[in-house]
Amino acid sequence: MKKTEVDLRVAGKTIINQLGVVLRTGHFHDIDNVAVIDAIEKFLNLLNPPTETEGSLRIDLIGEFFYINDSRVRYPLEYLLNFDYLLREFQKRELGTVIFEPQLRIDDLKAFLKVFINATYSGTPYETMEASLEKTRNIRIDKLKKIKEDADIDQRRIVKKTYFNAVSFTEGVMTKLKAGEKVNMKVAKRVVESMVDLILSEEQLLLGMTAIKDYDEYTYHHSVNVSVLSIAIGQKIGLSRKALTELGLVALFHDIGKMEVPKEILNKPSAFTEEEWRVIKRHPYWGARTILKLKGLDKTSIRSAVVAFEHHLNFDYSGYPKVRNPIRLDFFSRILTIADQYDAMTSSRVYARVPLAPDRALSIIMERSGSQLDPILSKFFVNMIGIYPVGSLVLLDTREMGLVYECNPLFADRPRVMIIVDGSGKKTKGFITDLTEKDSAGKYLKSIVKTLDPNKYRINLAEYLL
Amino acid sequence: MTLTQDVKDTIQELIKAKKNFRIYPENNPVYARTINSIYSRMTTLLDSSGSLSLKIKQHDIFFEGETVYHSDEKEDNLALFFFKDGIRELTFNRGLPKNEMEDFLKILSVDFEREVLDDDIVTLMWEKDFQFIHYIVDDSILLEDETYEGRAIEEAKKASDNNEGILNAYKDAFGLEKKSVLNVIPLTDEDLGSIIREIENDPPDKSITMIHLLFEMLSYAEGMGEYKELTGFISSTLEFAINLGNLEAAVYTFKKIEHGSSEDIYNKAADVCLKELTNFINSEKFVRLLGEILDEGAEFNEELLYEFASLLDKRAILPFIHILGELRNAPARKAIISILSELGKKDIPSIAKGLHDRRWYVVRNIICILRQIGDTSAVEYLTRAVRHPDRRVKKEAIRTLGLMGTGSVLPVLKDCMSDTDELVRLATVRAIGLIGTPVSKKIILDRIADKNFRDKNYNEKREFYEVLAKWKDSDVIGLLIRALKRKTLFNRAKNTEIRAAAAHGLGLIGTEEVLETLLKLQNSKNKLLRENVQTAIKRITDEKNRS
Repeated sequence: MKKTEVDLRVAGKTIINQLGVVLRTGHFHDIDNVAVIDAIEKFLNLLNPPTETEGSLRIDLIGEFFYINDSRVRYPLEYLLNFDYLLREFQKRELGTVIFEPQLRIDDLKAFLKVFINATYSGTPYETMEASLEKTRNIRIDKLKKIKEDADIDQRRIVKKTYFNAVSFTEGVMTKLKAGEKVNMKVAKRVVESMVDLILSEEQLLLGMTAIKDYDEYTYHHSVNVSVLSIAIGQKIGLSRKALTELGLVALFHDIGKMEVPKEILNKPSAFTEEEWRVIKRHPYWGARTILKLKGLDKTSIRSAVVAFEHHLNFDYSGYPKVRNPIRLDFFSRILTIADQYDAMTSSRVYARVPLAPDRALSIIMERSGSQLDPILSKFFVNMIGIYPVGSLVLLDTREMGLVYECNPLFADRPRVMIIVDGSGKKTKGFITDLTEKDSAGKYLKSIVKTLDPNKYRINLAEYLL
Repeated sequence: MTLTQDVKDTIQELIKAKKNFRIYPENNPVYARTINSIYSRMTTLLDSSGSLSLKIKQHDIFFEGETVYHSDEKEDNLALFFFKDGIRELTFNRGLPKNEMEDFLKILSVDFEREVLDDDIVTLMWEKDFQFIHYIVDDSILLEDETYEGRAIEEAKKASDNNEGILNAYKDAFGLEKKSVLNVIPLTDEDLGSIIREIENDPPDKSITMIHLLFEMLSYAEGMGEYKELTGFISSTLEFAINLGNLEAAVYTFKKIEHGSSEDIYNKAADVCLKELTNFINSEKFVRLLGEILDEGAEFNEELLYEFASLLDKRAILPFIHILGELRNAPARKAIISILSELGKKDIPSIAKGLHDRRWYVVRNIICILRQIGDTSAVEYLTRAVRHPDRRVKKEAIRTLGLMGTGSVLPVLKDCMSDTDELVRLATVRAIGLIGTPVSKKIILDRIADKNFRDKNYNEKREFYEVLAKWKDSDVIGLLIRALKRKTLFNRAKNTEIRAAAAHGLGLIGTEEVLETLLKLQNSKNKLLRENVQTAIKRITDEKNRS
C-alpha cells in the first residue's frame, strides 16, 4: 500500500476539521484577518502533501458523512462541533463536493472562502458559488446529490429485517432462559453488530423503527428499542464500535428480570396494587441475577448485570431498587436509563398505560435532566431524537397533514414527512416530502405549523412506517 | 502462470500461514517470515488484478467461477471455516496494508474448536473494522424465527384502523393552539470535554461496582438459597477480577464484609454466607489464583499488598507458603513474601510451619519473613532451623538469630561455631557479635584464646577480631594491642595473620591511643601486616580529621 493512502485516512479527520475552522473563522473575521490567514495556512499545510501524491483531493458529502477520495472520514468527539458546522453549511448551500487540485495557494482559498460566505445570502447558493468559482482553476465544486429513492427502499428493507431479527432473537433468549436452555452469545453479538452498523450508516431509519409501538410483544420490542436508542446515543458521544456493541448487548438484556414477573401483572389492564408494584420493582434484582447465571462471567456479563440492576435507580438515586450506599451510576446505566424512559413513555404497554406523544416525552426528559437523568447525556439524546421525532403528527402550512418519517439531524425543524391527508382534507396514500426543499426564490416549499398527539387519535404508525 | 493458478497458490499460502500462526509466537522468525511471504504474494496479486474476490461455499472457494479450493473435510477446511459463520464472499482490495493482513491471519489462526470464545469469525473481523478486506455475510443463520417479521408487521398493522382517527385529527388540527416546540439544545465545549473525560475514565473492569451491587442485593435476597447464590456471584466476580489483576476487588470485598458485620446490616443467613465468602478468599483456590496472576507478571503496589494481607486471616498462611515454592518469577515471590510478612504477624506458629518445607529456598524465604516480622517468639523455631542440612538456610537462620535473638540463643550459636562449613562459622561469629551481650564477648574471647585459633584461616581470624572490635573497651583494646605486638619463633606466618587481624580490629575501634603502636609497624616487611596497619592508621586519622 502506498504510505500516503494510509496517512490520508488518518489525516482526513484533521483536514475536514481544519476546513471547518477556516470557514468558521472566515464568518467572524475579515478575509485578510491574521486569524483567517493563519487558519488557511494550516489547512494548506495539511492539504498540499496529499494532493501532490494523490493528484487531487476530493471531499464529498454523502448523506451525513464526509468522504475524502472515497474513504469515509470518521472523527473523534472533539471535532464534533466543526464537523456539524461544516455539514450544516454544506447542506445550506447544497454543496456536495469540493475538489482541491495540487499546488493550492492562499489566494485560491481566500477566493473560495469569499464565495462560500457570500452564497449564504443567495436564494440559489450553489448556483451562485458555481458561477463565482468558474475562474478558480484549483478548486472545483459539485452539487449535493439526493440519495436515490431505490437505494432508500432497499436500505429500509435491511433496517426492518435487522430490527425484527433482533426482536425475534430477544424473544428466543427469554424463551430459552425460561426453559433453562443456554443462550448463544455469539449470535447475540452478531445481532447487535448489525444494529451498530445500521446506526453508523442509517441512523434515522433504525431510530424510526423504534417509533412504532403497536406490537403484541411489548417487552421484546422495548428491549430492542432501548438497545437501538442506547447505541444511537453512544454513537453521538463517540463510543468505539466495540463499545457500541457492548452497550447494545447490555441494553438488550436490561429487562431480562421481567421474565420473573408474572404475566398477569405485566399485562394487567388496570393500575397496580402496592403488592404488584413491589413485585415489579424487583425485576432489576432478578435481572442482574439472571444475567450472572447465564454463563461464565466476563466483562460484558458483569456490565450487563450492573446495568440491569441500575436501570431504574435514576441519576439522583430516586428510583428503585433502593440501595444503602449509592455509588455513581455506571456510564452505560445513565445512557440506558434515558433510552428506557423515553421508549417507556412513548409506549402504550407500560405501567403508566398512557403513552405520550414523542415531543411531550422529550420535554419530560429535559425536565428530568439533572435530577433523574444525566444532564449532558439528556442533551445529546434530545438533540438526537430531534424537535419532531419520527412518528410525530404534524400539520403543514400547505394544510396537509403528515407523519414525520425521517428526521434531519442538520435541520431539526425540517424533517421528511409522509403526507397522509392532502390540502383538501382527503386521506392520501402517503407520499414523502422533504421540508428542506425550496422554490426557485429560495423559499421553503412547506413548513410545519402545528403538532398533534398521534396517540390521542389512535393513529397506527405501523401502517405508514413499516 | 494464469491468474486462477496464482489465486490457488495464494490460498495454499494462506493455509500454510494459518498453521504457522497457530504454532509460532509473534517474536519467532518463522512468524515474521510467514507474514512477509503471504503479504508479498498478496500485494503482487492485488497490484496486478486490483482486487481478489472469493465466493465461499461449504466445501469450495471460487474465483471468477472456477474452483480454487476444495475440501470435503470437516476439520481444517478453509471454505467451511468461513462458511459456518455465514461468510459468503471475501474480497481483498489493492492497497491492503500489512497490519490488516496480519490481523486477518490472526483471526484465521483462531482455533474455534479449542478456544472458548464468545466471538465468531464475523465478530472478530467486524471488530477489526478492516478497510481493505470486505466480506458479505448471510445473516439468515442468525434468524430465530424466519416468519417473525411478517407476523409482527401484520399484527401491528391490524392494531387499529386509521381512517376515523386521521380525519378527526385533521379536523381538530386547525382549531388547536400553536404549541411551542422544544428547541435544539446547544452542546458546549464543556459538555463535550466532560463526555470525553467520562469515556476515557470509564474503566473496562466493573468488578468492584458489581461486588458493591451484589452486597446491596443481599438486602433483597429471600431465603438461604438466594444468599448463597449472591455470595457465590461475589466469589465468581472476585475470581474474574483477580484474573484481570484487580486485587482492589478483594480488598473491597473484605471491607464490605467487615462493614456489614460491624454495622449489623445483614441477617443471620446472610452472615453465614458471608463467612463462606471470607473462607473462599482465605482458601487455597483463591491464593493459587493470585499466585498464577502474579507469576504471569501482574504487579501490585506494596501498600495494596499489605492492606490485602492485613485483611486475610491465618488460614491463608499455609496456601501462601505452598505457592511460594511454586512461583517461577522473582517479583511474584517477592509479592508473596510481602503478603506473608504482614499476614504472618497474626500467627507465628503457622508461618513457622514453612520451616519444614522440603524446598530449601522456601525455608530460607520463611526465615526471611520471620525476620521481617521481628516477633521474638519465632526465635524458638529459628534455633531449630540452624540445623537445616542446606548451608544457605543455616546461614540465613544464624543471621536472623543474630538480628532477633537474645542471650538465650547463644548456646545454639556457640554450637554452630564448630560447624564444618567455614561460611556458616563466619555467619555465626557475626551473629554472636550482633547479640552483643557480655556472654557473646566471652564466647569470642574464649575462642580467640583457644590453642587451635591460630590454625584457622586468615578470613576467620579477621572476622573474630572484627566482631570483637565492637566492644571498644580497654580489655579488648589491650588484648588487640598485645596480639599486634606478639612475636613468635615458630609458626610465624600464622602469628602474623593474627597480628594483621588485630590491626584491622584496632582500626575499627578507631581510638587515637593505639596510633603510636600502629605507627611503629607501618613499614613492616610483611605485606599483610603492613597493609592492615596502614589501613587502620588511615581510618583513625581520617576519623580524627572529620571530628
